[in-house]
Amino acid sequence: MVSIATGKPGTRELFMGNEAIARGALEAGVGFAAAYPGTPSSEVIGTLAEVAKEGDIYAEWSVNEKVAMEVAAAASFAGVRAIVAMKQNGVNVASDFLMNLNLTGTRAGLVLAACDDPSALSSTNEQDSRPFAKWADLPLLEPGTFQEAKDMTRWAFELSEEINNACMLRTVTRISHARGDIELGERIPPSKEARFTATSPVDFTPYPVPFKHHQMIAKLEKVRELFESSPFNRYVGPERPELLVVTCGACWFYSLEAVKALHAGDRVGILKLGTTWPLPEKFVQEHLARTERVLVVEEVAPFLEGNLKELVGGHLADTGPLTFYGKRSGHIPDSGELNPDLVTKALGSVLDLELEGVSPEYVQKAQQLTGSHTHMRAIGFCAGCPHRASFWSLKNALKLDGRGGFVTGDIGCYTMALGPTGYFQVKTVQAMGSGVGLACGFGNLARTGFEQPVVSVCGDSTFFHAAIPALLNGIYNHSNFTLLILDNSATAMTGFQPHPGIGKTATGETTPAVDIEGLCRAMGVRVEVTDPFDLEGTTEKLLDLLRDDGGVRVLISKRTCALVRARQEEAEYRVHVDPEKCRGDSCGCARLCTRVFQCPGLIWDTETDTAKIDEVICSGCGVCADICPAGAIINEAV
Amino acid sequence: MSADLKGPQELRSEVIDGQLCALCGACVGVCPYLVSHQGRIVVMDECNLSEGRCYAVCPRTSVDFDELNRVVFGVPRPDGELGVVQEILMARAGEGAARKRGQYGGTVSALMSFALREGLIDSAVLTSSNEALLPAGNAVRDESGVLDCAGSNFVAAPTLAEFNREAATDAQRIGVVATSCQVLALAKMRASPLEQGNHIEKLKLVVGLFCTWALRYEDFVEFLREKTDLAEITKVDIPPPPAEVFEVYSNSSCVKLPLDEVRSFIRSTCDLCTDMTAELADVSVGAAEGVLGWNTLIVRSETGAELVKKAAQGGVIETAALPEENLQHLKEAARGKRKRALRNIVDRTGSSEDLLYLKLSEEALERLLA
Amino acid sequence: MTQKDPLNVIVTGVGGQGNVLISQLIGKALVKQGHHVTIGETYGASQRGGAVMSHLRISRQEQYGPLIPEGQADVILGLEPVETMRVLAQYGHPEVIVIANSRPVYTMAVTTGAAEYPGTQEVTRTLEELSSAAWVINATEIALEMGASILTNIIMVGALVGSRALPLGPEGLEAALRDSMPSDKLEVNLTAARRGLEEARARVAS
Repeated sequence: MVSIATGKPGTRELFMGNEAIARGALEAGVGFAAAYPGTPSSEVIGTLAEVAKEGDIYAEWSVNEKVAMEVAAAASFAGVRAIVAMKQNGVNVASDFLMNLNLTGTRAGLVLAACDDPSALSSTNEQDSRPFAKWADLPLLEPGTFQEAKDMTRWAFELSEEINNACMLRTVTRISHARGDIELGERIPPSKEARFTATSPVDFTPYPVPFKHHQMIAKLEKVRELFESSPFNRYVGPERPELLVVTCGACWFYSLEAVKALHAGDRVGILKLGTTWPLPEKFVQEHLARTERVLVVEEVAPFLEGNLKELVGGHLADTGPLTFYGKRSGHIPDSGELNPDLVTKALGSVLDLELEGVSPEYVQKAQQLTGSHTHMRAIGFCAGCPHRASFWSLKNALKLDGRGGFVTGDIGCYTMALGPTGYFQVKTVQAMGSGVGLACGFGNLARTGFEQPVVSVCGDSTFFHAAIPALLNGIYNHSNFTLLILDNSATAMTGFQPHPGIGKTATGETTPAVDIEGLCRAMGVRVEVTDPFDLEGTTEKLLDLLRDDGGVRVLISKRTCALVRARQEEAEYRVHVDPEKCRGDSCGCARLCTRVFQCPGLIWDTETDTAKIDEVICSGCGVCADICPAGAIINEAV
Repeated sequence: MSADLKGPQELRSEVIDGQLCALCGACVGVCPYLVSHQGRIVVMDECNLSEGRCYAVCPRTSVDFDELNRVVFGVPRPDGELGVVQEILMARAGEGAARKRGQYGGTVSALMSFALREGLIDSAVLTSSNEALLPAGNAVRDESGVLDCAGSNFVAAPTLAEFNREAATDAQRIGVVATSCQVLALAKMRASPLEQGNHIEKLKLVVGLFCTWALRYEDFVEFLREKTDLAEITKVDIPPPPAEVFEVYSNSSCVKLPLDEVRSFIRSTCDLCTDMTAELADVSVGAAEGVLGWNTLIVRSETGAELVKKAAQGGVIETAALPEENLQHLKEAARGKRKRALRNIVDRTGSSEDLLYLKLSEEALERLLA
Repeated sequence: MTQKDPLNVIVTGVGGQGNVLISQLIGKALVKQGHHVTIGETYGASQRGGAVMSHLRISRQEQYGPLIPEGQADVILGLEPVETMRVLAQYGHPEVIVIANSRPVYTMAVTTGAAEYPGTQEVTRTLEELSSAAWVINATEIALEMGASILTNIIMVGALVGSRALPLGPEGLEAALRDSMPSDKLEVNLTAARRGLEEARARVAS
């Protein structure tokens, strides 16, 4: 199997966008890689970690994105090319360091791969991270193809060293997580001469700030010049198109396809920009001069559109009248990710053309035949997931407690407890660690009449990323809440990357595992530990903790993730339902297991009107046997 | 059956959220959706059925006294304050432990022990409290367990949850000691066709307890905790008027709390209860006013009469005539509670056509209020 | 069959069924043969029991974007019946070819009693009415027979290759398996692929 390290120069391989970025970094002689897992960015450092040994590079999973950027900056300061990757939220977390690093300047090339998730397919928010490049006065590159993902990354290190500042490479899900065949280039080995040499007392600081700020802006002028002749910017189309599409990133693919679909190749020109900040002004103006109508196709924010208008506004005399279409005009949707159909619709609307799609008869027939069955397939906890059991006990404990207690949530698989899979327990979700922060606030409202118990839920990886400072805040400020840590020994949602509690690094080395229980005790709070599969015991512990008002207390619900466990060991039980005992739909049960508990391993047998175990999906955890009121679910020890 | 066929959604909205719940426990223990916890009925999850036994057996839904009297005694409810009555006596336990441990005369404990001993029942569902004064049903299969359950702390108990549990075991003949609302629920269970699968035919004996009100657990216990050490409490009592106190006994002392303060913890449903003497039981037992150490005993059914006769013959209980004055006071008290309840109900609904959970014709209502 | 360019293939299923694995298998094999391939996938949260779709764009001429426009799928390989129906409704057209696995993965709406899962006949009829050719394959049953339900996706890709809807032959598929499977799993995967091929041949013949 070909990896990003073993692929031979000159060959064509099918690589994921993130793998292409990683390969580009290897081709640039990267020596240091760091990240915190976050969809859709995780594979950039994930694949570098896999080949770290043979590639002779260092790769780590950092506890959060700010630290990841800091460790990568250190490598750069010491003369080693470094790459750091994160999702859009990660850029937020790293931003304080970034806004100091840009003034400080880098030494060896430092590339920040920012991977956005339009439509929040796997995120809590939808956010365009490109404006960070503008605010931070850093060069911004947006690959429009998989080949560019590799080639831009490789070049970005050189660019970074040209100006001694970090370079931002921004992708979206449809580049990062999509695959395309690319041609590989030569690799160069990483530097082996790392050394930290400060040539002045403020060399590695932003001081003096106004001076370095001015310097930083001047660097950008140099970049602008280089961008004027960049091969990543190109124009396709007629000499004087009726409409100029200006696009970047994955939207390049969609724009090409839209023009083709509408047979508008003689009317429409496409200006594809790969270097989107700072804009190569001369180059852009030349192409804007071809036409009077411009459609800007980009996601997520009208960033390019705004910058184009800013450019045009400063050169009104030269450019002539221009009508802009895009997000601001409503032709391109203001939210959500784009796709070829949306771009075709927008283009068609501007050109007054309609696409001949599938025949209306087919569409109607399809609707008739499938409409009642294609309801949303809800996502939920896997069969055997310890979170299901934890939330079942939490739901019961809060109900029994009876004081209107509620749960603040955080980021991970357990965020799904917003929905029926977690019995709608989680009520809030924002950023990493925010659930604990919110709980601190709710827990200090007693003097304003607040009487509801508050439970904050977070996972083990989230705990290390961001919850610790918030927990300290709660203890220090005498807040009143219970922190439920769901410790399944995994950063599961993003793909099972290891973290400080697991005892293994990104490159597979053993390392001391940080003990969450010990850490919390050292902070001075009441800590209890429970096995979530012990439903009764966990509910009792929760009830007891809920009643222990007057400070922060912690319950650690500890059991390995079902998917991780399935790789390591056999199922514990073979589970089946006794259809004679099953009460099914009748009074006394009303389908508790399939309708309320909702483990996907439990299905309904329409012939016997009883519950049944789906042996393909059931993980053999045995928890459902404890909730059946009729004792109809039988666990046989395997 | 004239009772409405409704389900858990209505139970929740009409009874639980409507503050009618008496915490009798009849709805608890037959399905996973209703549990009792710390003196509350808690709905754990949404049951989506439109009809359920929970609504059918609840003493605060769809109560037709005539129909229930027919089911229990074979006749509609007779006119009068006390329901079906064969005989009214005074009674007390024969010499021995029952008399010492009883709230008043120890009659109930004596009768239940006797019933177990004679094999008339093989399981007695009684009520007892833990160290935190939380009462719950307690099924005993042996007479030695009966005395441990003697006495009351005036806090509502979900005793019938224990009956439901016991009925699903190998017990065959179950006797229950129950307050009026619990007795009413047992009658509804006998009347409900939905109940047959839950072994209601195992119910062989119902000993009712006179009851004017019962207390809410959680805030009453909070209140007591401020006044005394819960762990030290041996007994509580309400002496007859004009004392107006609630006595809390420990080994060393007796704390007297103003009865008015204690009344503030009465369950709101008790103000809407028409039945002071547990009319749908085989026998009903209460204090004998002004006669220390004796109970008032109302014998109602054939089963009840048999039991009392045999017990008296065996010296297990002593009986005596009830003074006329006591009988009059009893009738007045029962009439007073019924009238107050009916007035409270009409006040709450604003119309004598809507009697909340009671199925009573307007004409019958008038008769009762007369 | 003359190859349409781009050839648009959708592999659909439920998170955990391994459709990502087989789309990569096909993609890599086709790149080796000199095609441009783009694969668009929805990862992440959808893998927790949600629907997972892979869009494959296969071309001799250029690289296409990772998302197939509506109504333009040429081949739909469905690892799950209702997911196949969903994709068909959005991306199908009268000429599309459909190969679907018969085994349902019930949605929570169905197991909670809020919705009904279509019966086998309804599924087959729907697939046939909305395509130019539809095969329903009992891939999960075959996989269970072979000892592991996880082989379902390999059986299905064998059937896809056997249908000759792709410019990829059995040798190409086998080479791809040899290249990507760990040695201790290779034999059983090759057998699974061959079982899928047999299923296809039986239908092509009839």
